[in-house]
Amino acid sequence: MKKIISGENITKQYGTGEEQRKVLDEVSVDIHEGEFVSVMGPSGSGKSTLLFALSGMDRIDWGLVTFEGRDLGILEEDELADLRRTEMGFVFQQPTLMKNLNILDNIILPSMRGNRRKVAAITDKAQQLMQKVGIAELAKRDITEASGGQLQRAGICRALMGSPRIIFGDEPTGALNLKAAEEIMDLLSGINEEGTAIMLVTHDATVAARTQRIMFMCDGRIVDEIRLPKYSGGTLEPRMNLITAKMREIGI
Amino acid sequence: MFYRIIRRDIRTSKGITLMTMLFVAAAAMLVSLSAILVVNLSGAIDHLMTQAKTPHFLQMHSGQLDQARLKAFAEQNNKVEDYQVLDFLNVEGARIVMDGHTLADSVQDNGFSTQSGKFDYLLDLDGNVIDVRGGEVYVPISYMKDGSVKAGGKVTVGDTSLTVAGFLRDSQMNSLLASSKRFLVSTEDYAELAQYGTTEYLIEFRLKDLSMLGAFETDYTAAGLEGNGPVITYPLFRVLNAISDGLMIAVILLASVLVVIIAFLCIRFTLMATIESDYREIGVMKAIGLRVSDLKKIYLAKYAAIAALGSILGLALSFSFRGLLLENIRLYMGESAHPALALACGILGVLLVFLVIVAYVNRVLKRFRKISAVEAIRFGTSQQTRTGSGRFTLSGNRLLNTNVYLGVKDVLSRKSLYATMLAVLVISSFLMIVPQNLYHTISSPSFITYMGIGDSDLRMDIQQTDHIAEKAADIARVMEQDVMIFRFAMLTTQALNVKLDNGVVERIKVELGDHSIFPVAYGEGHGPVAANEIALSAANAKELGKQAGDSLTLLVNGEAKELTVSGIYSDVTNGGKTAKATFTTTSDQAMWAVIYAELADSMLISSKVSEYAERFSYAKVSDIGEYVTQTFGSTISSVGKAAWAALAVMLVLNVLITLLFMRMLVAKDRYPIAVMKSMGFRNSDLTVQYYARSIFVLVTGMVLGTLLANTLGQILAGAVISSFGASSFKFVVHPLSAYLLCPLIMTGSVLIGAVIGTSGIGRIQISGNIKE
Repeated sequence: MKKIISGENITKQYGTGEEQRKVLDEVSVDIHEGEFVSVMGPSGSGKSTLLFALSGMDRIDWGLVTFEGRDLGILEEDELADLRRTEMGFVFQQPTLMKNLNILDNIILPSMRGNRRKVAAITDKAQQLMQKVGIAELAKRDITEASGGQLQRAGICRALMGSPRIIFGDEPTGALNLKAAEEIMDLLSGINEEGTAIMLVTHDATVAARTQRIMFMCDGRIVDEIRLPKYSGGTLEPRMNLITAKMREIGI
Repeated sequence: MFYRIIRRDIRTSKGITLMTMLFVAAAAMLVSLSAILVVNLSGAIDHLMTQAKTPHFLQMHSGQLDQARLKAFAEQNNKVEDYQVLDFLNVEGARIVMDGHTLADSVQDNGFSTQSGKFDYLLDLDGNVIDVRGGEVYVPISYMKDGSVKAGGKVTVGDTSLTVAGFLRDSQMNSLLASSKRFLVSTEDYAELAQYGTTEYLIEFRLKDLSMLGAFETDYTAAGLEGNGPVITYPLFRVLNAISDGLMIAVILLASVLVVIIAFLCIRFTLMATIESDYREIGVMKAIGLRVSDLKKIYLAKYAAIAALGSILGLALSFSFRGLLLENIRLYMGESAHPALALACGILGVLLVFLVIVAYVNRVLKRFRKISAVEAIRFGTSQQTRTGSGRFTLSGNRLLNTNVYLGVKDVLSRKSLYATMLAVLVISSFLMIVPQNLYHTISSPSFITYMGIGDSDLRMDIQQTDHIAEKAADIARVMEQDVMIFRFAMLTTQALNVKLDNGVVERIKVELGDHSIFPVAYGEGHGPVAANEIALSAANAKELGKQAGDSLTLLVNGEAKELTVSGIYSDVTNGGKTAKATFTTTSDQAMWAVIYAELADSMLISSKVSEYAERFSYAKVSDIGEYVTQTFGSTISSVGKAAWAALAVMLVLNVLITLLFMRMLVAKDRYPIAVMKSMGFRNSDLTVQYYARSIFVLVTGMVLGTLLANTLGQILAGAVISSFGASSFKFVVHPLSAYLLCPLIMTGSVLIGAVIGTSGIGRIQISGNIKE
């Protein structure tokens, strides 16, 4: 399969002198088309920093990150912004929606940049996506009038609007209850089925168990990884057992 | 942690901290200066009027004088302490030559006088009663100020040449607003000069008790004594002495209020930006049980230090500037009787500024208490409640670019946040437009019609001579034949008796002739057209209690004549108490005559002025433009300067406030900015959103400001104008400046502020602000 994102020896450090601390320590990772990847590790292990580095939201100090062969390190801020808007989607722990826009407007927001005249087509697409994720009736609501799970779905719709090659999720279920979390994972699995690559950062083994490749991070390095067959419903327990065993093995 | 926050605060806001201190210094300086000036001015006026023994009641009079009758009145009236009649030799300006220059262009009535015996002394610059010797003259101080003549110079009238021995302070006529000026000469020289002018009388009274002034005025009028000329009373002398410096003090006070407000805004926005930037830290401190009041104390200490430094600097500056501003007061009125009081008031004023600022900082810092620890730790920024999404939706927006939409939307959803900036912009556009409009209005040619003067090219005054009506008719005949005179109007003024409803008879000056040729501006009604109509000046209408449409009984040719008041107009000439009518009388007792003329070619004004001045030596011929320049020129130019200064100050203020406000906003909006960036909005998109916010607020502010300027501003300007004597008034708006240039430069200034204020957007990291 074709590589979408590739990171080689990514190094990112904070502080100077004696206080210097490497958050990412020569991490190398590739993500391929249609892959469903997760990154696990304790707090401070560098999971989120890796996600920010691979998506071009954060500059790295050393190493190389490429998106379909383009070196993100030499791209201008504007080019990175365009890349995020057209090729990537993001889902965060908090819904990160604009409070003064209704749910539909939040979903179409990034696509509307410079596309005012296509508003009808964009709105149509948003409504289809909302239908698909089951929040069609919330279009005109304020974000204060929806539940956390519904808002996260809206966030996913927003991420899908640009038909991205890859979706990055930073603890996308972290603020949700069990049932809502499960529904979001069903949704993400479905999106992955349709061919969009997904990279998730999570603490949660039930989330990781839905993915096909789980990387384990500790102290800024990827220390191990396991690959699982595609999840096709049913109990997650065997997959979770594999993951927890591996975590015990590497001591995280 | 406290230390770190304070250090960051000072590091990131060095410029703003300095600027805040300078504003405090400026405010302290202005407040201190105005306190010092007020005390000095009132002290100096009191001192001068006490030393000079200014009369309590002055009746100027020209014509016959019955000394015996006056004496009898003064002796019988129990309110009178002392009385005297002084001679004032009114000499045509053209005849007075000071160091080679005549006073022909002077709008003042210049004349000579001898030192008074009992009171109303003319003082030298040390405040002593002048004892003038033969061959010497003391010149009014205003001619020293404008550099017309120096001590040791010569004042020549006809064959008499006098040496300027010094300058005098005249507690009555010091002010340029007083229309006469007294030169002091010895009794012998006065007798010699008498042939060159006409004598007027200053009938002066000192009362036992000033509070009886009103009753005394009634007594004087009732006694039917000499009254051919204006009456001026002690309080009016005070006002005349105070007005020009008083206006300056008022302007300084206004400016200081403005500067204090700017200092407040600087402090408010800087503090709010700091609070927003350190929101999480402050929340953490609260959560772990640290006392936030300690942090509050540190901030309070910081601003108290800024305020104290600024105040001391301001006080020092006020001491170095006061000499400059007191110069005029010292020159015209001398030293104040209580200089220490002035100093104390200055210091008190500065202390007040200091306390007000500390109290304000304390109030803003109350926000610390409102910070929710949970919210701060969870989100890192304040979660201001917004008013929801409303009907103005992005999906329904076909008109605006998405970034512009987002900017406008933000303003609409956080109205209270933008209210401060809106208020600043409303006020600044108001303060830019009103002075501009005022300036355009008073400098427009039609403005003099508000002053009771017809809008013509030249004006001839015939007064203080005999056979006035005949002389005026002579001029009229010449003008009739003069092809260069497009049209003219001859108006003669007579003193006529008006019979009031209560039977009392009063004398008013009525200007007779055709008032439709060069009309003045009527605040109410219209000018007199029919023979049974009369128009009254605002001052007269008030005194007589008449309005347009009322009737009035005038005694003309010995018979009562019923007249209808056709209109009310403003007048600054002849004490403001005049009337206009078209009827004729059989009497030839004209007090004076005025001829207005408009030339076929206005280029010829100056040559016509000299031609007529030469031909009719008894008339004072003036170019109306020249007349206006001399009377109001300095005012017009000061208003013009003030208008430009206001413009400049407001522009700087706009830049500053927009800058601080945008900085605060960017600090507050770090989270949504990071979210937008993560979605793929470019820095330039975000910048445009912030520009759109500021422009949207600006446009709203400008529209409101302009509306206010044309309503409230016109009323306020009307109040200023009325101090010149005009009662009704409408702005002459210069559309190019008010509706194009002002908005354009305001937009420019706000954009500059927005560009600098939002420069931090690019530095906002997604990862640092969006991490869970």
